[in-house]
Amino acid sequence: MRRRWPGFLLIAVLLLAWEISSARGWIDPITFPRISVIFDSWLRTVWTTGDLTRQLLPSLGRIFSGFALACVVAIPLGLLMGSVSFVYRLLEPITEFIRPIPSSAYIPVAILFLGIGNEMKIFVVFLACCFPILLNTYGGVRGVDPVLIDTGRTFGVSKLTAARQIILPAAMPSILTGMRISLGIALIVAVVAEMITGNSGIGYFILDMQRVFRVPEMFAGIFTLGLLGFLINFVFLKIESHFLRWRGTSVEA
Amino acid sequence: MNAMAPATNAGATMRPAPIIEARGLQRYFNVNGKRLTVFDGLSCAVQQGGFLSIVGPSGCGKSTLLKLISGLDRPNGGEILFRGKPVTGPADGMIYVFQQYTKSIFPWRTVIQNIEFGLASHKSLPRAQAREKCMEYVKLVGLDGYENHYPYQLSGGMQQRVVIARAMICEPAVLLMDEPFSAVDALTRALLQELVLKIWSDIKFTVLFVTHDVEEAVFLSSQIISLTKAPATIHENVAIDLPYPRDQIATRADPRFTDFRQRLFSSIFLQEKGIAPDDLKTIRSK
Repeated sequence: MRRRWPGFLLIAVLLLAWEISSARGWIDPITFPRISVIFDSWLRTVWTTGDLTRQLLPSLGRIFSGFALACVVAIPLGLLMGSVSFVYRLLEPITEFIRPIPSSAYIPVAILFLGIGNEMKIFVVFLACCFPILLNTYGGVRGVDPVLIDTGRTFGVSKLTAARQIILPAAMPSILTGMRISLGIALIVAVVAEMITGNSGIGYFILDMQRVFRVPEMFAGIFTLGLLGFLINFVFLKIESHFLRWRGTSVEA
Repeated sequence: MNAMAPATNAGATMRPAPIIEARGLQRYFNVNGKRLTVFDGLSCAVQQGGFLSIVGPSGCGKSTLLKLISGLDRPNGGEILFRGKPVTGPADGMIYVFQQYTKSIFPWRTVIQNIEFGLASHKSLPRAQAREKCMEYVKLVGLDGYENHYPYQLSGGMQQRVVIARAMICEPAVLLMDEPFSAVDALTRALLQELVLKIWSDIKFTVLFVTHDVEEAVFLSSQIISLTKAPATIHENVAIDLPYPRDQIATRADPRFTDFRQRLFSSIFLQEKGIAPDDLKTIRSK
């Protein structure tokens, strides 16, 4: 954190510039209310009335259930694709075909067969999360050094032991990268799904505030998303560096 | 069996059955659509308890031979016998030590956990007992105090010690070492050579050692096989009757050490330069 102060300083300067520009009327104060006003409504919606906080939980629920489901499905599938070449050859083309479709494009389809409730949103988050995890898992497994595999073989360990004790830990950095990418995507997709349909979640809150022209509240919601994404990533990086502590704290040449 | 190890073997009168036997090995690879024949009917035998080094010009198939013996690679023809039984895959009782120790060590395991992998692969002990046994091997390779370090915190020589301990804890009958010290500095290498010799004389087992360094081979081995260029045949089979224990300074100063080194080095070097082994014999007899 200590090394990052210039970055945080820049944020502070930009916010200050916004504040002044809006106060002086250099930018339209209706579209871009003063930061102090936005902060004020942020405090109100988060603490006093709790309107925003109430919308946070459903969003978090969707993000984490979709993400967790994706991990449960995509990691084992990725391990299988990475280690059994037939499964890889069977599933790789279809993966490559579905993967480029933007996750938000599934939403209309998902509405058709899952309705507009929670199930649909969790499903869309799940689907969007699957691909980065899947790709990084089988990529990681296929990238395991043959010497490591041969090491397992010369010690005569079973295929299952080798999978658990060699392939999985060797692919772990790659799997965790996939999971981290997915978490970012989960946030995006959940918000988009909430904006398209439904009556809860931060996405819904932001759109709703825009429709009733409560611009400071709308910005409060947007900034909350930024904060949320930052926090999720921060916590995940902590977890990641715990799991990968064997790599050392820094990259040494 | 056409090319059974040439009978230059001193005192090979009454020998027990060899621990490893290769019979008519054939191995070829397809390189850019061309067939590269590494072995075309190679046969050799390894006696139990020896320290046998395999030397030869680069690319002659030293490592391939070791891989075939270990069962990690399969021959296209011929067979390998280990204790009289055909080798069809990685055999129990043989452990292969890779040249690229940085790739063979488990970076996510600490020193003691790496060694524990070896132990767990061949017997299951209660936790406390397993730990005690692992500590024995930590000490054996001189890494006490480092048992809870991760590989990234260790030097190359230390990592290679971990890999050796991980192999030795399995109490293998045969240790197959593929240029294990080629990637460490000269002093570390000298220390590791002494370490391996010490373990070898304390615990009786057979070592097959591939190296491109003739001097290293002479220093370590009780016997050296030198291979010709591919398709490789056994060019020389030399018993190195320098006394054990060997000493980095005294042994290397021994005139017989120099003789062995000179003789093997010149034969390999001249081959590398493209002089066929048959011409070599005529050159040398002059």
